[in-house]
Amino acid sequence: MRSPVGGAPKFLNLFHIRFPIGAIASIGHRVSGVLLLISLPLLALTLERSFSSKAAFEALRTAVETPWWGLFLVVMVWAAAQHVLAGVRHLLMDIGIGSPLVEARTSAWAVILTAAIIGLAGAIRWLA
Amino acid sequence: MRISIYRYNPETGTDPYMQDYTIEPEPGDKKLLDVLMRLKTVDDSLSFRRSCREGVCGSDAMNINGRNGLACITALSALKEPVVLRPLPGFPVIRDLVVDMTQFFAHYHAIKPYLINDGVPPERERLQTPEQRERLDGLYECILCACCSAFCPSYWWNPDKFIGPAGLLQAYRFIVDSRDTATAERLAYLDDVYRLYRCRTIMNCTEVCPKGLSPSHAIERIRIALLRASS
Amino acid sequence: MKVFYGQRAWLLQRASALALLLILALGAALLLVGPPLTYERWHGLATSPHGAVIIVLFFAALSLHGWIGARDIVLDYVHSLPVRLSVLAIIAVILFAVVIRVALTMAAQLSLVS
Repeated sequence: MRSPVGGAPKFLNLFHIRFPIGAIASIGHRVSGVLLLISLPLLALTLERSFSSKAAFEALRTAVETPWWGLFLVVMVWAAAQHVLAGVRHLLMDIGIGSPLVEARTSAWAVILTAAIIGLAGAIRWLA
Repeated sequence: MRISIYRYNPETGTDPYMQDYTIEPEPGDKKLLDVLMRLKTVDDSLSFRRSCREGVCGSDAMNINGRNGLACITALSALKEPVVLRPLPGFPVIRDLVVDMTQFFAHYHAIKPYLINDGVPPERERLQTPEQRERLDGLYECILCACCSAFCPSYWWNPDKFIGPAGLLQAYRFIVDSRDTATAERLAYLDDVYRLYRCRTIMNCTEVCPKGLSPSHAIERIRIALLRASS
Repeated sequence: MKVFYGQRAWLLQRASALALLLILALGAALLLVGPPLTYERWHGLATSPHGAVIIVLFFAALSLHGWIGARDIVLDYVHSLPVRLSVLAIIAVILFAVVIRVALTMAAQLSLVS
């Protein structure tokens, strides 16, 4: 239905809205999903390369040790952890496990912190 | 007490702006609405809706320090200063804190918020067992203040197509009602990529419901009911 | 006919997620528990008939899951119909190409072995 007030302003400045932790987990799920989707073609090509020869396989392994690929890998490891953990949280909540608010808040924190720790571990492994 | 309020007057043609007020609450002022009413005596151009002043009518929903709530049941003592008041997010602003709820109520009407029963009306009321009646708990209490829908990102992006948490909570209230015979039609109406399935279980709705209800749980139950209906 | 489905997409998103979780768990178990991953072991695992099929399934599930997710994001943020259809078409073509490419890669590996 059309609003009777044409051209009325809306307040929707996201920086002035205090988002609950569940919303942070949700946007993390979305951002990590986009990152994973963008890197999907690269993953397919990497798979192909890994078969081509022993040298190519070893080259992929050493590439991880260079700073830029290392950084990329750390971001992808975080994205994968965030997306998988938040996804499992959603699957469980779909069937009523952990869907009351207090539990959902706790699991949102758990997902965000665990993914951050995994990302940090990746950073120590590949960047330090 | 310092309060910063979103101001907009369509007649002056200026853009919305924030106006700062300083006002001392009187000893009897316990809730945010009390201070707003006092402000109104100082600046009568300030517009906001209010009626019952006790969390039943749902008129004074607004964005309080970044979260939606009812001014009449928000304790002053719990508020950080300056208290920043804005209209409900994503809703067209008519004036100051008053928003246009037309679309919100259009969604409410679309889910047919009334009992449908094609059977022969009984001599007296349609009886329910205590268990059947219990299923309506946490659903019928909704006061349609729009705090939830106006805090739902999915509703912000598709306010014209997504029914939103308030409408879906109401929809489930009739789906689960043992006296209603239109369950299949109600579910069929909701099996839509926009109407129901824009929900991403963010749970902002449940976070801000001033009545402590859980629209996200109602939506979860609707999806399960749809799954059962189609299998 | 509906252009975008509600329940079907929601279900496929969850079914593909479960398939991905299963394959990831299987992969993690194989790679973490067994001997270190050399080229020979990787090649042997991945290009066995079972391995090849699972890898193709993995990418198919990834693409399907990604498609529904991307579709949801587009439905939320992109409201101009021409732009929406163009973006969706580009994503669909890329995801389709990925699955075809992986399937061809694995088929080539299988025929090399046999």
